[in-house]
Amino acid sequence: MSGEILSIILRRIAVAIPLMLLVSVLVFIVLRLIPADPVAMSMPPNATNEDIEALRREMGLHLPIMHQYGIWLGHILEGDLGRSIAFGQPVSKLIGESLPATIELAAFGALFATAIGLPGGILLFRLRGRPSEQAVDVGSTLMMSIPEFLWALFLILVFGVALNLLPFAGRLPPDMTIPRLTGFLLLDCLLTGNLTAFLEAIRHMLLPALALALGTVPLIMRLLRSSLLDVIGEDYVTMARLRGVPERRVINRHALRNALLPTLSLMGVQFGFLFGGTLLVEVIYSYPGLGNLMVEAVRNTDLPIIQGAALIFALAVLTINLAVDVVYIVVNPKLRRAR
Amino acid sequence: MSLLALKDVSVATEASGRRVDVLRDVSLAVGRGELVGVVGESGAGKSMVGRLIASMLPKGFAPSGGSVTFLGRDLLAMPPRERTGLLGDAIAFVPQHPMTSLNPVLSLGAQFDEHLKRLGQDGKAARRERAVAALDSVHLPRPADLLGRFPHQLSGGQCQRALIAMAFAGKPDLIIADEPTTALDVITQARVMELIDELQRDSETGLLFITHDLRLAAQHCQRIAVMYAGEIVETGPAAALLGDPLHPYTRSLVAANPGIDGPVRRLAALPDHMPGLSGFADLPGCRFAPRCPVRDEACAAARTALTEVAPGRFVRSAGACRERSSLLAGQGDLAGAAVRGEAAPILSVGGLGKTFRSGRDWLGRRRAPVVAVDEVSLDIAPGEFVGLVGESGSGKSTVARLLLGLETPDSGRIVVDGQDITGPFQRTAKQRIALIQMIFQDPQSALNPRQRIGRLVTQSMEVRRPPARWPERLERARDLLGQTGLPQDTIGRYPVQVSGGQRQRVNIARALCTAPRVLVADEIVSGLDVSVQAQILNLLLDMRAQMQISMLFISHDLSVVRYLCSRVAIMNRGRIVEQGPTEEVFRAPQHDYTKALLAAVP
Amino acid sequence: MSAEIAIGAATGTGERPLRRALRSGRVVVGGSILLVLLFCAIAAPLIAPYDPNEQDLLNALKGPFWSDNAEPGFWLGTDNLGRDTLSRLIYGTRVALFVAVCASVGTMLVGTTLALLAGYFGGVIDWLISRAVDLWMSFPPVVLSLILIVGFGVGIGNVILAIVLVDWTRFCRVVRSEVLVIRRQNYVDAARLSGFSHLRTMVREVLPAAAPLIITLMSLEMGIAVIVEAILSFVGMSVEASIPAWGVMIADARNYMYQSAWGLILPILAIVTTVLAFNLLGDGLRRTFDARLQQH
Ligand SMILES: Nc1ncnc2c1ncn2[C@@H]1O[C@H](COP(=O)(O)OP(=O)(O)OP(=O)(O)O)[C@@H](O)[C@H]1O
Ligand code: SF4
Ligand SMILES: [Mg+2]
Repeated sequence: MSGEILSIILRRIAVAIPLMLLVSVLVFIVLRLIPADPVAMSMPPNATNEDIEALRREMGLHLPIMHQYGIWLGHILEGDLGRSIAFGQPVSKLIGESLPATIELAAFGALFATAIGLPGGILLFRLRGRPSEQAVDVGSTLMMSIPEFLWALFLILVFGVALNLLPFAGRLPPDMTIPRLTGFLLLDCLLTGNLTAFLEAIRHMLLPALALALGTVPLIMRLLRSSLLDVIGEDYVTMARLRGVPERRVINRHALRNALLPTLSLMGVQFGFLFGGTLLVEVIYSYPGLGNLMVEAVRNTDLPIIQGAALIFALAVLTINLAVDVVYIVVNPKLRRAR
Repeated sequence: MSLLALKDVSVATEASGRRVDVLRDVSLAVGRGELVGVVGESGAGKSMVGRLIASMLPKGFAPSGGSVTFLGRDLLAMPPRERTGLLGDAIAFVPQHPMTSLNPVLSLGAQFDEHLKRLGQDGKAARRERAVAALDSVHLPRPADLLGRFPHQLSGGQCQRALIAMAFAGKPDLIIADEPTTALDVITQARVMELIDELQRDSETGLLFITHDLRLAAQHCQRIAVMYAGEIVETGPAAALLGDPLHPYTRSLVAANPGIDGPVRRLAALPDHMPGLSGFADLPGCRFAPRCPVRDEACAAARTALTEVAPGRFVRSAGACRERSSLLAGQGDLAGAAVRGEAAPILSVGGLGKTFRSGRDWLGRRRAPVVAVDEVSLDIAPGEFVGLVGESGSGKSTVARLLLGLETPDSGRIVVDGQDITGPFQRTAKQRIALIQMIFQDPQSALNPRQRIGRLVTQSMEVRRPPARWPERLERARDLLGQTGLPQDTIGRYPVQVSGGQRQRVNIARALCTAPRVLVADEIVSGLDVSVQAQILNLLLDMRAQMQISMLFISHDLSVVRYLCSRVAIMNRGRIVEQGPTEEVFRAPQHDYTKALLAAVP
Repeated sequence: MSAEIAIGAATGTGERPLRRALRSGRVVVGGSILLVLLFCAIAAPLIAPYDPNEQDLLNALKGPFWSDNAEPGFWLGTDNLGRDTLSRLIYGTRVALFVAVCASVGTMLVGTTLALLAGYFGGVIDWLISRAVDLWMSFPPVVLSLILIVGFGVGIGNVILAIVLVDWTRFCRVVRSEVLVIRRQNYVDAARLSGFSHLRTMVREVLPAAAPLIITLMSLEMGIAVIVEAILSFVGMSVEASIPAWGVMIADARNYMYQSAWGLILPILAIVTTVLAFNLLGDGLRRTFDARLQQH
């Protein structure tokens, strides 16, 4: 049985690889669309036409587009994403420095989203047919209408400015530094045994992670509710009741387990979006992550960074989807073949 | 004393703003070790009886009178907790849809374990042992192995056996089986019924068997109760009830049921159909009165009651039903009316083959190719009805889709009226549309709910060159409705606004619009009630007589095929294993599969 | 998702859908809010007290009329350059609604067409379109729209184009599954047997069945378009600086939130209200169309 699951998972990974290649093609093409000339931008204003031509050749821009793509892909596979125009540093280094912060933030966001969304969905379901259902329902529509970047601002206004409870800039207080070991701040704090810094880091992460989560929560809630409504009408639920299984157990063991499956596969997509949501949340919370780096690059038209960051974002989404699918495959016996 | 006794039970609800009794004065008893059948058409309230006993009435439904005594205690007066305590333990259930009645994410073992634990069995190992024994008792091979499997890895028959094993595991006093075999193939159905008989014979358990199939009930039950529109109209010993039905409805039911042997008589079809819930309110007296062939003026208002007319036989009537019902005689013999296929064939199919090639699922796993149709050859003469019989998945519907061009065959030839129409649909559409049409199985899905019936039946005129004008279409629509026995006022209605039987007529009318020479009918009566089915079957016979139309009639029901078709082809796993004149094949089947099929007919 | 799929197949009796929709409180509330917003957008020059770009540096960062540092005449206060917040909010509806309508029509056209082709024909076409959707969906929408805007340059037309190019997948995926369900209905086959061409079958039989879902999705898409436009203007990548947009107002006010929180709160409220209105409308329509939800 487990051999079968393993082979399904390997297949699923195999499906992701061509997708990744296509993503890189897409990023490459979009880069070529850009009206701004990357060559002119990386030259001093007094450069001559010959200089430009020389650089063109050096960058391989005279080659056929497929050839250029080949070279570019080759570089990427070697971990070379080019050099930032604005910072003059290798893009891979800049991304490497900022990515762990984003991963940490997104992971916490996803955690919060799950921790709030799933019980919320069960609550919505439990309220079905009650008068309060309508109110809660409109409430969830309202929540759906607030994207994470507005949550981010809103949380700052309430918990930062008005109540002055939580910090909302950066990952640590300005006077605190932690030696960079893994780049994952929480981990580094623990590794260096600095508990105060650990707690501070968590305090700093609370608001941005919550903002990310709140953008996703209503979707999870609604999906779980609607899956539960579907499932509760299924024959096996009726049959469980007819076997005298107590109602609590009918819901928790029979209905919930089945309803979680479609919810889980949606959560894969949603967590991908949530990862993209870090972009603005990081900007708003001055959080030194990938999103901040990218928005900065967009403002400077720093193409190598934009390109690299876009690629990493896509890779992250694919990885998240893959991970969720793997979980789905493991927990869903229906994917096992009929014998 | 009986195990379960319903005494004058009524269940009321609200429909279209009025209070109606979904069940009215239902009295019924099941003794220890007894198998009692509840028979009736769809909507008669059979399931409501089961749900009442399980205290699982739908929202808005509540008992409004009478008593349900189980083991000497009134269930309706029992506190809810105690009542649910009986479920699965003293009262067990066998469901209609075995495939969907087991939780798909739990292994069979886990579900058995949960059940046995609830029954009070301690110790995981002991429970496992009992589960194995239970599966063994329903003759499932390698039971220990089965416990590790998930429902989707089992067949429908296996699932139902497992569910039956679960039901009997707690040695319940009463089992309620609501259409336990309806979702299964004929052969599987026969085996499952045998199993139920066997398990029950060895136990004290009483069994309430709910079904729409009077013959099946008569074959297995000791006593039968016939329901109509929320009332029990007749109860009695099975053999006596089937052999000599007393109530006009029961008589009509028997007369509307084509037999598998004996002379073929034209079916006596009741007019119209059973009223829906909201219609019950307009029937204070005999609820059968609007359709009753022998009613008199008093019937519609008369209060009826179940009265014993012979030892053990009860009939609900306002008085003279029994005497009058004898007026309902069988109708004319049909022998000789059918066309024998001696003329040159109008449809000729040779060596037809279709394999569905390996698609891939979303994980990129290759699916095994399926040989759906394998070397099928078949001829149909003008005016001849040929039956195509086989169980689900045997490839019948694929044959139909190939004939119509909805799928392109891998091999073989299809010739209609001398024209080869084998090619892909685009190329042969013109000829096909004029020559061969299809009547789909499920009229609900076959009729676009957004279009009026007048427009639906003349759909094919819309793309004629030059396009037909509306008055012309209207006229044609009127013709078609007339031909299929539909009232003219249905022309402006939407499909949901007519009854199921009428929808099937609309479906037939549409197929007739281009005046095709051949019709392909795929299970067109399988979703209908017996009395409505009889109407449609008779309509088809009339069409044959009037229009000399030919038909390939696909069905899993041998009795219906015998009634309609002069020749029959038996299909199994994509191949036609036997074909010939219906009477011959049924009298002396050659192929083992045909024999098994015939033996399974109740 | 499953709720969305069930919509079309379950609806369409003879009832007048509009009538039924108007009986839903959500539709009425959402629709009314939108009518008011539409009026603001159209009549902006008539009802706005000031030119939205008119600066009054002496009266910068004033609060709304109920706050302590209010300035008569500036009902909802001013921003850091002394521009009238109310006027900017009113003019901001123009960008928001224009983008919402154009982008949702665009996504609907692209997404529905591809979904129809994929769901109806299946096979290779379906495979290709579905893979394209997978590919697109592997970019977070915000990231993809940013890249596209970098590629196209700023301007309202490009914003709309970017939203269409990002969000067609949302439509395509959901409508495709609906079309797959409809395709399995026998009446589609029956139409073919009556001699309907593929195009006619798609337009006459499949599309009407999917229409309720498409309308619902469009309403939700308008809300999304408003958000995306706000995000892009927040990072300064949307319309030209001279055009007032809510996202720009938020970005400006963010630097002064200690002095004047209302400058930040009001445009946030404007966005949330607009999106809420679209979502209520979409939700209400979904409920009207979805027979399954009505039962519960
Ligand atoms: N949940 C429900 N809500 C409203 N009406 C219902 C419900 N369930 C059943 N009914 C109605 O109650 C009547 C009796 O239904 P019941 O299911 O008992 O019939 P049945 O004889 O079992 O039919 P079938 O052969 O189709 O199973 C029918 O008119 C049916 O439409
Ligand atoms: S009471 Fe009258 S209408 Fe009813 S079954 Fe008897 S004869 Fe027919
Ligand atoms: Mg029933």
